[in-house]
This record gives sequence, C-alpha cells and structure tokens, in this order.
Amino acid sequence: MSAVPIPTRPAQASLRPPLVDGEPTLSSITDAVCSIVERPQTPRAWYIAFAISGSLTLMLFGLIAYLIASGVGVWGNNSPVFWGWPIVNFVFWVGIGHAGTLISAILFLFRQQWRTSINRFAEAMTIFAVTCAGIFPAIHVGRIWLVYWLAPYPNQMAMWPNFRSPLLWDVFAVTAYATVSMLFWYLGMIPDLATLRDRATSRVRQIAYGLFSLGWTGSARQWHVLEKAYLLLAALATPLVLSVHTIVSFDFAVSQVPGWHTTIFPPYFVAGAVFSGFAMVITLLVPARQLFGLKNLITPRHLDVMCRIILATSCMVGYAYATEFFTAWYSGNRFEQFAFLNRMQGPYAWAYWTMVICNVLIPQLYWFKRFRSSPWLMVGVAICVNIGMWFERFVITVTSLSRDFLPSSWDYFQPTAVDVLMFVGSFGLFFTLFLLFCRFLPIVAMAEVKTVLPSPPATES
Amino acid sequence: MSRETGTTYWRSLHELQGTPQFEEMLHREFPEAASELPEGISRRRWLQLMGASLLLGGVSGCRWEAEQFAPFAVRPPNRTPGVPQRFATSHEVGGGSRGLLVTCYDGRPTKVEGNPDDPLSCGGTDAYDQAAILNLYDPDRSDSLVEERGGQRFTRDWSDFDRFASQQFANLKQRNGKGLFLLSEATSSPTFHRLLVELQEHYPEAVCLEYESVSRDNERRGSQLAFGRTLRTHYDLDHARVVACLDADPLGMHPAATRHTRDWAAHRDPDSGSFFNRVYAVESQLSITGSQADHRLPVQSSSIRLITAILEALISKQLGDFPPEAGRSGHRDTRAPQSAPRLPFSPDVVLSPDALQFVEALADDLVRSRGESLLIAGHTQPADVHARVHRINEWLGNTGTTVRYTAEPDAGRLSHRAAIDFVCTELRDGNVDTLLMIGGNPVYDAPSEVRFADALQQAQTSIHLSAYRDETSELCTWHLPRAHAFEVWGDTRSHNGTYSVSQPLIEPLLAGRSSLQLLAALSTGDPPASGVPGERLVQDTFHSLFPESSGRAWDTTLQDGFLADSALESVAVSTVSALQVTVDAIPLTPSGRSLEVVFSPSRSVYDGRFANNAWLQELPEPLSKLTWDNAAILSPATACEFGIDHGDVVTIESNGRSIEIPVYVLPGQAENSIGLPLGYGRTAAGTVAGHVGRDVEPVGVNVSTFRSIDHMYFESGVTITPTGRRHDLATTQEHFAIDRVGLEEISGRVGALVRQGTVSEYAEHPDFAHHEHPEIPLWEQPEHDGPQWGMSIDLSKCIGCNACVVACQSENNIPVVGKEQVLKGREMHWLRLDRYFTGDMDEPEVVQQPVACHHCENAPCEQVCPVAATVHSDDGLNDMVYNRCIGTRYCANNCPYKVRRFNFFDYQLPVVQPEQSLKQLAFNPEVTVRSRGVMEKCTYCVQRIRNTSIIADNDRRPLEDGEVQTACQQSCPAQAITFGDLKLAGSRVATEQSKPRAYGMLDELNVKPRTKYLARIHNPNPALEATT
Repeated sequence: MSAVPIPTRPAQASLRPPLVDGEPTLSSITDAVCSIVERPQTPRAWYIAFAISGSLTLMLFGLIAYLIASGVGVWGNNSPVFWGWPIVNFVFWVGIGHAGTLISAILFLFRQQWRTSINRFAEAMTIFAVTCAGIFPAIHVGRIWLVYWLAPYPNQMAMWPNFRSPLLWDVFAVTAYATVSMLFWYLGMIPDLATLRDRATSRVRQIAYGLFSLGWTGSARQWHVLEKAYLLLAALATPLVLSVHTIVSFDFAVSQVPGWHTTIFPPYFVAGAVFSGFAMVITLLVPARQLFGLKNLITPRHLDVMCRIILATSCMVGYAYATEFFTAWYSGNRFEQFAFLNRMQGPYAWAYWTMVICNVLIPQLYWFKRFRSSPWLMVGVAICVNIGMWFERFVITVTSLSRDFLPSSWDYFQPTAVDVLMFVGSFGLFFTLFLLFCRFLPIVAMAEVKTVLPSPPATES
Repeated sequence: MSRETGTTYWRSLHELQGTPQFEEMLHREFPEAASELPEGISRRRWLQLMGASLLLGGVSGCRWEAEQFAPFAVRPPNRTPGVPQRFATSHEVGGGSRGLLVTCYDGRPTKVEGNPDDPLSCGGTDAYDQAAILNLYDPDRSDSLVEERGGQRFTRDWSDFDRFASQQFANLKQRNGKGLFLLSEATSSPTFHRLLVELQEHYPEAVCLEYESVSRDNERRGSQLAFGRTLRTHYDLDHARVVACLDADPLGMHPAATRHTRDWAAHRDPDSGSFFNRVYAVESQLSITGSQADHRLPVQSSSIRLITAILEALISKQLGDFPPEAGRSGHRDTRAPQSAPRLPFSPDVVLSPDALQFVEALADDLVRSRGESLLIAGHTQPADVHARVHRINEWLGNTGTTVRYTAEPDAGRLSHRAAIDFVCTELRDGNVDTLLMIGGNPVYDAPSEVRFADALQQAQTSIHLSAYRDETSELCTWHLPRAHAFEVWGDTRSHNGTYSVSQPLIEPLLAGRSSLQLLAALSTGDPPASGVPGERLVQDTFHSLFPESSGRAWDTTLQDGFLADSALESVAVSTVSALQVTVDAIPLTPSGRSLEVVFSPSRSVYDGRFANNAWLQELPEPLSKLTWDNAAILSPATACEFGIDHGDVVTIESNGRSIEIPVYVLPGQAENSIGLPLGYGRTAAGTVAGHVGRDVEPVGVNVSTFRSIDHMYFESGVTITPTGRRHDLATTQEHFAIDRVGLEEISGRVGALVRQGTVSEYAEHPDFAHHEHPEIPLWEQPEHDGPQWGMSIDLSKCIGCNACVVACQSENNIPVVGKEQVLKGREMHWLRLDRYFTGDMDEPEVVQQPVACHHCENAPCEQVCPVAATVHSDDGLNDMVYNRCIGTRYCANNCPYKVRRFNFFDYQLPVVQPEQSLKQLAFNPEVTVRSRGVMEKCTYCVQRIRNTSIIADNDRRPLEDGEVQTACQQSCPAQAITFGDLKLAGSRVATEQSKPRAYGMLDELNVKPRTKYLARIHNPNPALEATT
C-alpha cells in the first residue's frame, strides 16, 4: 500500500461538522472505495445496467453509420431550422460536463474541502458528458468525412479555417476543455490507481493498474510534484470552465438571429451549465452512493451543499430569463421582441413553459430542508432540472430559428425517430462509460478524502 | 575494344575501365532491376511466385467500365466545342405559341429563353416554356410503338406501322375516308392545317376534329354572337389606362400573356413619365391578374353574367349623360348605345352595397377613360358575357384602340366541347372505323359524361400519337411515340398570328416522329418508309403562305425564329343589331347562396400535359404555394361555414358525380366558390406524376371526372361534405397553420418588408419607402476596381408568374426534392417568391416578392463559416465554394433572408440512376452539380458573368451595360428584374437603385444587400379608396 501523507488537522475541525461520517479510518476508506473495484463477483445489477446501456450505445453507433450513409436529412432539420436536436444535445452535454471541473478546480482553489468526496465522480461525469457532447457537432456536419478541415493544420490547399467563426472557437474551446479535464482527472487518480495496483491480486490487474499509475511510489517528492501539477492544472482549468460555455454561447450570441443575438448569453450559459451539471451529479451520485455503500464518504452534507448551489444557479437562470425579456422589450427591436413573445405564446410555448417550470419553479423546492435532505426528493428535483435544461437549449436553438426575420420562411420543426434515438443513444454511451468507471476505477478520491478526515484521537500523538 | 584504334567511344566510365560489372551487364538480357531467377530455384518457390503473379494479373482486371469517346475528326462547321450555340424556335401550349431562343451545348439543348425580338414573347417566357427542357429529357417519354392485338401488346417499330398504315389507309381511301376520324389537340401550325386540307382531299368523308380540355371556345362563340363571325380578340394593354377583367387572367393564363405582362408593366412604373394604369378584377378564383389588381371584387363565376349586365346598364346610362367628346382622350368618339339595356331588377337588390359601389366606380372609371379603357372577359364565361363585353368596348370606343379583332385562322371548325361530344356519339354509334388522335389525352381530360374511355373501345382501330404512353395510349390499338418540339421541324402562329418556324435542336432521342410527319405520311395514303422529312413540309407551307417573299426570307425566318410583319391583319367590326335581342333573352338570375365549382388549368402543370415534369410539380403555385398536389380552393368564410379545415378531405357532389379532394383555404377566393385545378391525378403519366401500372401513386386528384360537358368551366349547385380524413399538403410557405401571435406579427412586419404606396402618395413623398438607418462602419470599407454587381427588383411590376423560378432551376441545375422533403421544408429553389396577404381575410391584397441571395456587402454568412467556404469576390459577389463546404449550416442560420439551401440528402441521386440518366442531359455544363451535405444558393448567375467577361476581355473592351443577364432577369415577362454594374455610371441597375422608391429589405441589419427592391406602387380609384 502506498504511503499516504499524515493528514494535517484543519484548524477549526472541531467547530464544524466532519466532512465524512462514521469515524472512518484511513484503512476503512481505502477498503470502502477499493472493495467496489475489487469485488470478485460483478453484481448482477451491473450486468443488467451494462447490457441496457451497451445496447443503446451500439444503437447510437448504428445510427451514426446510418446517418453517414444517408445524409443529415435523417434528422428533422429543415430550412429555417438548420440546427436541431444534435446541437441541442451538444449544448446539453457540454453543460452537464461543467460540474466536474468546477467542483475539482474552482472549489479546489477556494479550498472547499467538502469537494473531495465527490470530485472524482463529478470529473468522470464531465469527461463522459464531454465525450457525448463531442460526438454531436462532429456528426452534425453535412460532409462528415471532411470534418478535419476545422482543424488549423498546414495543408496543400493553403487554407486556414476562418478564425472569425464562433464555431471554430468552439472547436478549440471544447477540445481544450476535454483535454484539460481528462488530464486533471487522470492526474488526481494516480495515487488511487497505485493503491489499487498495490492491492491487486490478479496479474492482469497488477499490469493494468501498474501501467496507469505511472510508477507511483508515494514518495514525498512525488507528492510534492503531483500537488504542484494539480494546483497548476486547477488554475488552468478554472478559466476553461468559464470559457467553454461562454464560447458555446458565442455560437448563438455572435450570430444575428433574433433570440440568439444577446450579450447576456455568456454568463447565462455558464450559470445554466453549472446548474445542469450539479443536477446531473445529484442524479447520479444519490443512487451510486446507495448502491456502493459510500454513505459515510458522501454525506448528506455534500448533497445539501450541492442542492444549495442548484438553488442559487436556478435563481440566476431565472433572472437571466427575465432579463432577456426586459432587454427585448427595452431594445425596441421588433424582431427581438417577437422572438420572446413567440417563445411564450407561439407554437413552441409548451417547450418554453416546460423549461420555466423545470428550471425556475421546481428548484425552488430546495428552499425546504426536506427536499435537501431526502435523497429521492432531491433526485426528483434534479431530474426535472435536467429535463428543463435540455428544453432550455431546445427553446433557444429551435424556437429562435423557426421564426426569424422573414415570415415567408417560418417553419415548424419536428424531430424524427433518428433524432430521438440518437439522444437516447447518447445517454447509453454516457452510462456505459460510467458503468465501466464504477467497475474499474476508484470512484472516490481516496487520497484526497483522507486529508479531510477528522483529527485522530489525541492519545495517538 | 582495342586501344590501338585511334578515337575510342565509350558509353560509361565502367566501359572505359572495362570493369567486371560492365562486362556482366553486356551479357545480361535484362537490366539489373528485373533480375533473372538465379539457378537452382526450388519448385515450391517457383509455384509461390507464379501464384502471386497470377493473382496480381487478376487484380489488373479490376478497372472502371470502359467508356468510348469519339473526338470529332473534322470539326463541324460553325461549332466550337464548349461554346454554346443559340437557336430560335417556338413552343406551343394549347394552340398558343411563343418565340424562344434555346441554348445548346455541343448539340444538346439545355436552356430556354424568350426570343427578345419576338413580338409576343419580347424576351419573356412563362414557366411552361422554361420547363420544356425537362420534358425533352424525360426518360418516361415513350420510346417505342406499341400495337395492341387480341388483348396483347407488342412493341413495334415505325416500319411495322408504315406497313399497317399503308394497308389500313388504302382501305379507307377506297371508302373515301368514311369512318376515318381525326381528333387532334389544338395547334396553330400552318403546315398541320395545310396537311389537314390535303387529307380531306384524299379522304373526303373523313372527319377532322380538335379537342382541348381548356379552350377558348366561349370567346369564339362570343365574337360570333357579337359580330356575326368568328373573330380573335386582341388586347393592347400598352394603351389601356383602365383595365377591367371579368373572370379573366390576361397576365397569367392567356396565349399572349407575356406580351400583356410586358405592356401592363410598362405602365406600372411611376417614374416612366407615361400614364399609370389601373386594373380592376371581378373574379371567383384569385388569378395572377387579380392578385395584381388595384381593386378586386371576389364574386362567384356564376355571378359574372349578372355583374356584366349591371355594368353594361350603368355604362350605357353614363354614356347617355356624357357628351361623346368629353372623354379623356378627346380624339376618338364613342358610340353611344342606341337603346339603353334595361335591367329586370334594381342593382341594389342583387348586389351587396360594397359590390354595387365597386361596379359603379368601375363603370364610372371606364367611361371616364373611354377609348383608353379595356374590358376583358375570361374563357370561363359563357358566350353572351363575351358578346356583352364586346358591345361595351364598342360603346366605350375601345374597339380599334385597346381591343383589336382579327380573323380566326380556323374559324370553321367545331368547338372543342361539341367535338368531343360528337366523336363519342359517333364512336358509340359504330360509325368510327379508324380514330387517329394526334396529341391530347382525352381519356384523361374529357368530361366524365361523354365516357370517352368506353366510347374509344368501339373504334375498330385507334391510333394515338403521343409523347408519353398515357391514359389514352393505353386504350388504343396503336400508340406512336411523338417527338418533342425541340427534336423536329415545325411551325406555329402565335396568338397575334406571327409566323414562327421551330427547327430541330437535337436528333429525336427516343424514336419519335412529329405530328406533321405522321399526318404527311397518312394524308396521301402512301407513307414513305423513312418518314417524311419535316423540313420540306414546313418549307412548302412557308412558300405557299408567303409566295411573294424573297429567296432569303426562309433563312431569315429560320435565324430570327419568326417572320416579321406576319401578324394577322385587324378587321373593322361592329356589333350586329340582333345582339341586343339575343343577349337580353338570356335570363339574369341573381346567384343565391348555392355553392359552385370552378375548373381552371393548373398554373403548374396546365391541363395535365406537364404533369410528369418534376420542375413544374415542385413549382410552388403562385398564390397557394402548393406543390405536388391540387386541392379544392375554398375561401376562409366558406370553409368556416361548412366546418372544414385546411387539409381536410371533402366529398364534392353534383348530379350523381362526386369527387374526393383535400381542401386548401385560400384568402381571396370568392365565397361559396370552390376552385378545382385541372391537370392532376394522372394514372399513366410516368414516375413523377403517377403511373398506376408501375405502382407510382398519382399526384393529386383528377377533377375532370367531376366535369360535366354542359358545365366545362363552372357549375352551380354542388354540395360539399367533409369525409373526416386529412391530407398533407406540401406548401413552401406557411408550412403549418399560423397561430394568432404569428399572424399578428406577420401583418406588422409585411409593411416594412414589402413597402407599398399609392400613386398619389408617391407623388407627395417619393421617398416614402426610404427608411433612414445610421450605418456606421466599424472598419474601412474595402474598395475594388472593376464592376460591382447588383440587382434591383421592381415590386410594382412583379406579377408572381414563376417564370424566373423555373428559369433559375434550369440554369443552375437545382434539384427536385419531392413531396416528403417539401413537407419537411427542404425545397431547394434558389429564387423563391414570397407571397403575403394583407388586409381583410376575404378580400386581401396580395404582394409578391422575389427573394434570392442579396449578396450582402457585410454578409453575415461569410463571417460564421468555420472553414471559409463562403467568401466575397472582388466584384461584390457572395461566392459559395462547394468544394470547401463541410455543411455546418451555420451560414444558413445567420442569413436573415433565408435564401441558403442545404443538400440534406443526395438530391441528384435519382438523376444518376441508369433509368433516369437521360435527365442528366438537361444539366447546364457551366454549373457545378452539388453533392450531398453542401450548402448552395443564388450566385447572381456567376457563370454568365464570367463567360460574358471573358468574351469582352477577348474583344479588349469593357463590359457593356445589360450585357450580363441573369436567368431570372432574362425570363421575366414584366422586366421587373434589372441586373448590372452598380459602379458603371448610368447603368440601368444603378439608375433603378437610385430611384427614391428603392430600398433594401432588412437594411437596418447593416448587411448592405446588393439587391434592392423598388417599392410597389398601386393606383387605387379615389372613389373606392375613400371608403376602405
């Protein structure tokens, strides 16, 4: 077992409730987390879940093959709604991918130590969500086989991409975010992988974990380097958390479509992303904590704090909705005003009101202690938020496009079965990756949690 | 190699030095790389090597299918490969023709344009002319003769038919032609009529008839009634200040429509210095003319007779009040009615106050502008209405000024309606031995009562010459393939009588012969084996028609496409005195609330002859914007009254006939009038329009089955009941029913998008259309040398006829996507006509606005493309680089005009299927055929700009104004579109764009569109305007 630094005692530990319950010891934490991975018999539930999500993933890839063979007309996209569900799904998944890095990086920098129990989980979720997100814009283009032209590389055509296009910024922002999140996640996992390597009983495990733990011995020097690198990456990831969704919002805000062309989009999108990200963390964490017996590590306090963040971001999002209306009215711009009137009363009013109810009204339940403490009520609200945030992207993308400047070109968008099944399939991919993560990787950052243990009994010193 | 022999020659240093390597090389058969096998190779190795070579040898057999190209050994005269040639020809639809210029690439016609010198087309065309190219390359056209014998069908060739015909017609000749009936479609061809005369000589007892499902029978009978002889009426809109149309569509559905449009449009320009005309329309169906009228009164077609009578009474009364010389023209005296007609009732009893006011104002206006006014009755109206209109025009002094009469070339023939009735009776009576049908499709389009299909079975022999093996061909004993007009020699006389020659532009693609060739072969009863040369036939006619013409006249006619000054001579006319008695004898019955149906030719596929033309099927109907379907047109009030919704399938019944058809609710349709467009529901048209035998669902509903021979154009007293079923109607605008918020917004926006004013408003505030926007550039605007292209579209002149849309489709290889894709909103037209209704739902005003790429100087599409696939050219074009496009569709989202079109699928895929590959010949070789996944849009016809620039460069001269014409501009009969160099001082486009009524649509977005619109000006009657 690798060496773990002696936990430094938080100065005011006795004044605050502990971050972990059940008086765990260093070894009990290790056991709790590693046992999930080391279970000799994979639980039947895992197999069932994996079969379902795996099939959905296969369906997604099958549909992608069908799409590439036939053309993007298999979706419901039309003129004027040239961007439909794929872009909605992209923004949705990118948004979900926000919580992880936010929890890891920003809360790390702010020394919010409660994050240690959930950061690994949230980071994994980020990476899987970004993976799902990345698929959609790539397959969304008309000529998928030429999608690499988006990359700035020297070529025989002597052509650079158009650096004025927000879509290109988006490519950079999302790739950078995915790369940094991945590194951050992996870097933090190295000591835990080493733990698993050291505890491994089978040869395969020893080699696999051995490879990925990069020869970690737990020496003080390694800890020093790791923590330096971790801090640096956290500092690098923090602006990315803000930039990625800011730039995703530029796809809309920089264009001139009424309903897209607003300066409020960057903060509004970031708030929305944090909102949806935390909602997804709760949606996943509550069942996982139940299932894997991590109630002592992921305590009601963690959940409560996350609910509070959801409540705060819900209010921000609600405020943004209101501000949009004010801006539209105050602008005196007929097209802008209609775009928002149309959201409320037009043919997509049902989507708009779904969004408002799910994103603004339902999260207000978190004002009540009962909703922040009862895990299942909490999940119910979080699922509503997930639905609402998908609809938010739908409302922005589809409703605005369906009725822009010239009424002669207005049209109603209807998704096809391929649209729906691809979205479902992306959940399949997400859960497949997640199940693999739960089965083979340490889902709680053991090393980090150990640093926030309550101080050991005085007699020990 | 001895050193003793003086000069030594050596091939390399090795040789000079005599190295062992060189010695070895000298003795080797093959150079080093192809080394011989060393000695002692094993059997195993040898087999391996041989096996491998065998395999590789097999691989070399995998190659593309060999294609044979044969270059011209000797270049054909007057042809440079790749340089297009243009030939003058003409195109005839239902007996009316227009002069055309057809562009051919290497002997392949690809594009139709109006002949600018032709007195009738004036360079303009209609949508049918433009789409004729696709018919030429329609793979569904018949490619073989079919004989039906004993219930079995045999494929034959022309020699089989010639053998059969020589025997058959010899028998007929012996009987003096008794039992020979010839039923042809309407044609103006002088050769055809000459051959008919010849046929009559050889077969004196043969009966020659003509049938068209949409005909001008009523007009001919009307002139017979009014003048005692059959005359053709011509309208001169160039001199008409006030035009009143009674169920007539002179700008849309008329053989001389292009000319009418040109003349009408010349007087819709407030800056022209000439007068500004005023158009009134009284009609049941929203017509092209009606949609452009300054005042329109929607009434049932069955009420037009009554309104004409009231109008007549009012005018006669007013003419009595005015002394003749008080007319505006002053120089022409009017004939006051001898005795004012009396109405059996007071007009205010039968007309609503609004309608009465309309008719009174109209009568007043007509009288005020007498001599320069014009009253036109439509072909749907019965003869007596036409007769009354002739009489009113005469009273007003319009005869000879705005309305002219000429002889009708085939005045003696039976009317179409009588002809189809007669031939069916004769067939049933067993009097028809041989029925020869030239063109037409009576099995499909004859009125249901005559039961033509049943009657046809009674003929011993029935022969049908037809471009397609259609409904009629399938029931005939012989089907003969007919060549397309562009494949054979022919001649026509346009509506005004101008003689035109059409020359073959390509060898017949599919074994067809022309009607002239067939008739020439049969008329003598002795068909020559190889078919009759068409050129000789046409030339003979030419020389017999114009015997005094000079020797070069034929060549000139061929080159120009028409013979100048060959129009029919006007004749002086006066109404017969008996007219009063005849007309007054017809009872005037005020129409009640009874429902009527009105049959009209489809503006997309006419009477069904263009049904298999995919361009026309997908062409949005100008007013309903419906594609790939016909529907019963109902007014909103009537639909509401019967509880029918847009898209409901209804049953319409009358006298035991019934039809099921979906409903389209169209504002502007007269109340209690149901419009039924002809030409759909074809069961043997082809893969586009439907073919039951080949499992292709018919497009739309055949309404001919509901047509009664006594009510060819409208019928009252029908009933309508919803069936409870729904039908998807694919429209290109209002793809779905618009909700209240949307409707309110549209009515709020249209005024700014399509700016309109009246003549008096324009006189007061010429710049009313100009909206001031601060345009502060954020950076220095680039300046470029050379031309800067721009376009202007005069909304005062655009009638929404769709010619430009098809012209664009033909020029730019725009794909057809089909009904499902249109339903999804994925139509591909680069140029579309936005149609908006304003004002009242039941009596709306219609505005048409052609919208194509505006080539914005600050193009929003260019900025957002991540791969720079859409960029600006130095001459101000917004270029679309198909090769670079990866299809993110961001540009289309950011385009405020929504003119960008995306290839969601490989829409050209059907055309590359082997059985459809003939259609590929219709492609313009100058324009890229776009693949799946790329964006496309209007290029301002960049291929034409570049071609013309190259020609000018080669001549070392600058481009002249007007030298580059875009396809839409060229086809526009109203000349509403101007294109050219904005930087060229005094260019037409710069002049147009500097007019005070020029404006840029959505210019507040600061995109700086290069296309500008000229505000629409109309000329309402102050007397009517005050109340509305």
